[in-house]
Amino acid sequence: MPATKRSDYVSAISVRNVTRSYDGGVEALRGVSIEIQEGRVTALLGRSGCGKTTLLNLCGAMDFPSSGEVLIEGHSTTALDDARLTSLRRGTIGFVFQAFQLLPSLTALENVELPLLLAGTKGSEARAREILRWVGLEEKASALPFQLSGGQMQRVAVARALVHQPKLLIADEPTGNLDTQSGDQVLALLRRAADEFGAAVVIATHSAEAAAMADIRVRMRDGRIQGIESGGSEPGFAQ
Amino acid sequence: MKLFRRIVLRPLKADPIRTLISILSVALGVAVVIAIDLAGDAAVGSFQSSLATLTGKVDLTITANGGVDEAYLGRLAGLPLRAKFSAVIEQPVRVVGGGRGSAMVFGLDMIAAAPAQGNGEGEFTPAEMERSVVVSSDAAVKFDWKTGQQISLRGRNRTESFTVRSIVPGQTSGWLGLDLAAAQQLLDSFGRVDRVDVRFEAGEDAAAGRRAVEAALPPGYTVRTPGDQQEEKQKMLAAFRWNLRILSYIALLVGAFFIYNTIAVGVVRRRTEIGILRAIGSSARSIEGVFLAEAAVLGVVGSLLGIALGRVLAGGIEGMLSDTVNALFVTSAPSPILLSKAGVIGAVVVGTVVALLSALIPAREAARVAPAEAMRQASREHEAKVHSKRDLVISGALAALAFAACFAGPVDGRPMFGYAAALLAVAAMAMACPAMIVGILRALRPALKKLSGAAGLVAERSLTTALSRTSVVVAALATAIAMMVSVATMVGSFRETVQVWLVSQLGADVYMRGEGPATAGIFPAMDPRIPDLVRGLPGVADVDVFHAFPFRYEGTQATLGAGVMDIVRRKHTLRFLSGNADQILKSLEGTQRAIVSEPFANKHHVKPGDVLTLALGERPVKLTVAGIYFDYSNDRGLVIVDRSTLLRYLPEQPLTNMAIYVQPGADAVKVRHAIEEAVADYPVLVAPNGVLRDAAIRIFDRTFSVTWALEGIAIIVAMLGAANALLALVLDRRREIGLIRYLGGSQGQVRTMILTEAGLLGLLASALGLVLGMALSMVLIFVINKQSFGWTIQFHPPLGLLAAALALVWAMTILAGVYPARFATTIEPSDAVRSE
Repeated sequence: MPATKRSDYVSAISVRNVTRSYDGGVEALRGVSIEIQEGRVTALLGRSGCGKTTLLNLCGAMDFPSSGEVLIEGHSTTALDDARLTSLRRGTIGFVFQAFQLLPSLTALENVELPLLLAGTKGSEARAREILRWVGLEEKASALPFQLSGGQMQRVAVARALVHQPKLLIADEPTGNLDTQSGDQVLALLRRAADEFGAAVVIATHSAEAAAMADIRVRMRDGRIQGIESGGSEPGFAQ
Repeated sequence: MKLFRRIVLRPLKADPIRTLISILSVALGVAVVIAIDLAGDAAVGSFQSSLATLTGKVDLTITANGGVDEAYLGRLAGLPLRAKFSAVIEQPVRVVGGGRGSAMVFGLDMIAAAPAQGNGEGEFTPAEMERSVVVSSDAAVKFDWKTGQQISLRGRNRTESFTVRSIVPGQTSGWLGLDLAAAQQLLDSFGRVDRVDVRFEAGEDAAAGRRAVEAALPPGYTVRTPGDQQEEKQKMLAAFRWNLRILSYIALLVGAFFIYNTIAVGVVRRRTEIGILRAIGSSARSIEGVFLAEAAVLGVVGSLLGIALGRVLAGGIEGMLSDTVNALFVTSAPSPILLSKAGVIGAVVVGTVVALLSALIPAREAARVAPAEAMRQASREHEAKVHSKRDLVISGALAALAFAACFAGPVDGRPMFGYAAALLAVAAMAMACPAMIVGILRALRPALKKLSGAAGLVAERSLTTALSRTSVVVAALATAIAMMVSVATMVGSFRETVQVWLVSQLGADVYMRGEGPATAGIFPAMDPRIPDLVRGLPGVADVDVFHAFPFRYEGTQATLGAGVMDIVRRKHTLRFLSGNADQILKSLEGTQRAIVSEPFANKHHVKPGDVLTLALGERPVKLTVAGIYFDYSNDRGLVIVDRSTLLRYLPEQPLTNMAIYVQPGADAVKVRHAIEEAVADYPVLVAPNGVLRDAAIRIFDRTFSVTWALEGIAIIVAMLGAANALLALVLDRRREIGLIRYLGGSQGQVRTMILTEAGLLGLLASALGLVLGMALSMVLIFVINKQSFGWTIQFHPPLGLLAAALALVWAMTILAGVYPARFATTIEPSDAVRSE
């Protein structure tokens, strides 16, 4: 399955002139446009409250723009009903959170298997075991979350996000609760997800290590994109 | 006060649905307790309710088994006492005209009673008085009578006309007051009266008066004050009312489980808040106080609502209780439902104390939380530690204690150890809950994952993870289910036993009795010429005649009966606890021997060979108990002698029942029609055995209608609790549910997950409830019922009914999950995860 490095990156998500405002009149995003490409790691950088998480939620179809549009696989998220959104989350998107968000009552293996069970995929256990091996935690398959370290929990969360081979992996401060070594391990996994699986990886982060590892760095401030830097030769574009 | 509002009332207001459900749980529990008490008091009625209006206050009542000889009136009148002695006849008569039914007649000395009536319409001549009748408002409504109207009454063998002189208002039973002489003539009852009422004039020493009256009477006569009579009636009904009361507490107990749950959930959910309060200087005691105050608010509000509900409910069940009291225990006119101030205060105290006791454990747990631990994010997941294995050992010990308690005898006639056994069994089940839940869910795990995939997996796990809370919910639901199962099994077994008994007891083809109300302790007399009339009809093989009348034994009422033992023996209508029926019955013929019913034997601790001393007329008579027979007709108990033995002491004792056997090969229906034709002019009721059996079963079913109503309410409380608990589980798992939506879970899957949890809760509760219910049914049948009423009930669980009821409860539990499930689907994934 590992993908080779390519030069013709395909856009996984198009964010077009998006504004997101809330009931209290707060504008979390103001006229943001960005293309998220498959096989590349995009880091959203900026202070707390700059709109990173809002942008991530819009990219993951967990929230919707007040104006403008977000296209995932060419479909505007606002036009999708609940069933289509559910199917999108099942097949196309994987999430990793700062606080791991594992179900405390399920074992590591069961946590990883859960998206496949929700999608009704056959052979779910074998696939879950395979991806758990990929993150190096096969021996922890039967452990409950409280029996794992923070780093291990986040690796389980990465495995869960990748188990259904999503085109898009969204990670919100994935190293925020981890020590440096564990954080590096998790970042390495995210890098591999882009390189080997060809996933479009979007990370909202404060971490310098995460920013350094990214192909594209998007700097945000007060709900706007301030600038986009590219680690390689292909720049993103911003307004 | 400000702090109370902020820390206690605000969280309750912030969670209105759960608060409302908790209040309703308490309210329904309290309502049931109040309703049973109020309706019970009203159904027992006041002994003085009917006649006091007509005759004024009575100080003493003189009665005798078989009636009071009128000759003693003269002797009493000669006593140096300032007192009035009034003979009273109390018997049913038929109201003639369009077959309108029967009513009780009180024959009184109307001239003496007149001043107390307050309804006089001027002076009457004695002749007018003899043809006048005073009627209760209830009878006037029933028969559509007006003042001045001519009415016809049919006595034992004659019909006479009377004029309605006045209607006594505000009466809850139908009765007629006649002048004593007119009543004696109508009822053909000369020489004996049913009782003599004594009224002392002002200034007379009542105690000395009583002693003088007693000294003037033969030893077999009984002299009692109205207080004695009311007390006796209360005593007769004590067991019945006790059992109902205990049953009503079950709804309160189920409510208590849910108050515990509500407070426990509050403690878990507000741990961070507790930590902050502790960090800024709150003492452990004040934290405990916060949660106890919350419980007290729920208790007080729930109790107040429960009182209002209970008053309404009492009106609904009063009729049912009154029917039962009259059919099985003692004839009594219901009195109005009265909610006393003490009753209201008592209910608020009970409801609040139950709520406080239920909250005690979680409140203590809250007080023990260390501030730093409480403020940690992860502690949101905290659940009270469950020691499944230790609890299982305790459960075993409690079950053993419950078993042992079943073998202890009654305390003061009450099955206190039986109640204790039932409570211990409930406690044993509650303690076994965690281990059972883990075991059952583990066994179901593969099937659940296979059947409902992720929803099944997550549902099963979340119940196991929140084990302490799951255990409380399951224990509460199981208690309600167990009560339903045990009562259904007890009633079903009892019904089956009674049906089998009816078939053997009612072996004759046709039955006949004097017309009148079919209530306990009243035996309308029949004309003595009827047996010969029937014997002469073609197709009649045997006629068993029976004399029944109430008598007093060891301070309580029972029934003395006398029949032709030779026929009883030949027809095999009685079954005995031990001994040969044939020999026992043969030994009765013409001898000083008697048989007693099982309730009589249990109530008075009588066994074969014992000697009973009964007053028959003036003389005490010694009767040796030859055997104890099964009887389910009433709780008062029966003593039966051969007819010839009775007539030796009470030759005038009227006939009350007849059993007619049709010759083999004769057409029973034709014979019955011939009998009906022959006795058409007499006030008697004729019924084939099938009708009698059906009527008996109808009375039986009506008797237990209140029990079913109570069961229903306990189940509703349990369902409310289940909905409450499921909602709490959903609220506490918002993050988890949101996450599942992130991971691709559809709204349908989230709904399925919560409904699966509801279904699993129902399944666990049904399984545990069924086991506990069967154990409790044995306690009810073999301990509580036996010690309360003295009946032997064969164990016959109504399997079909139980299966249907359990399926219904299960469906209702799933239904209880519908709102929480709908709520879960509205959780916004991003909000849920962000709120972390």
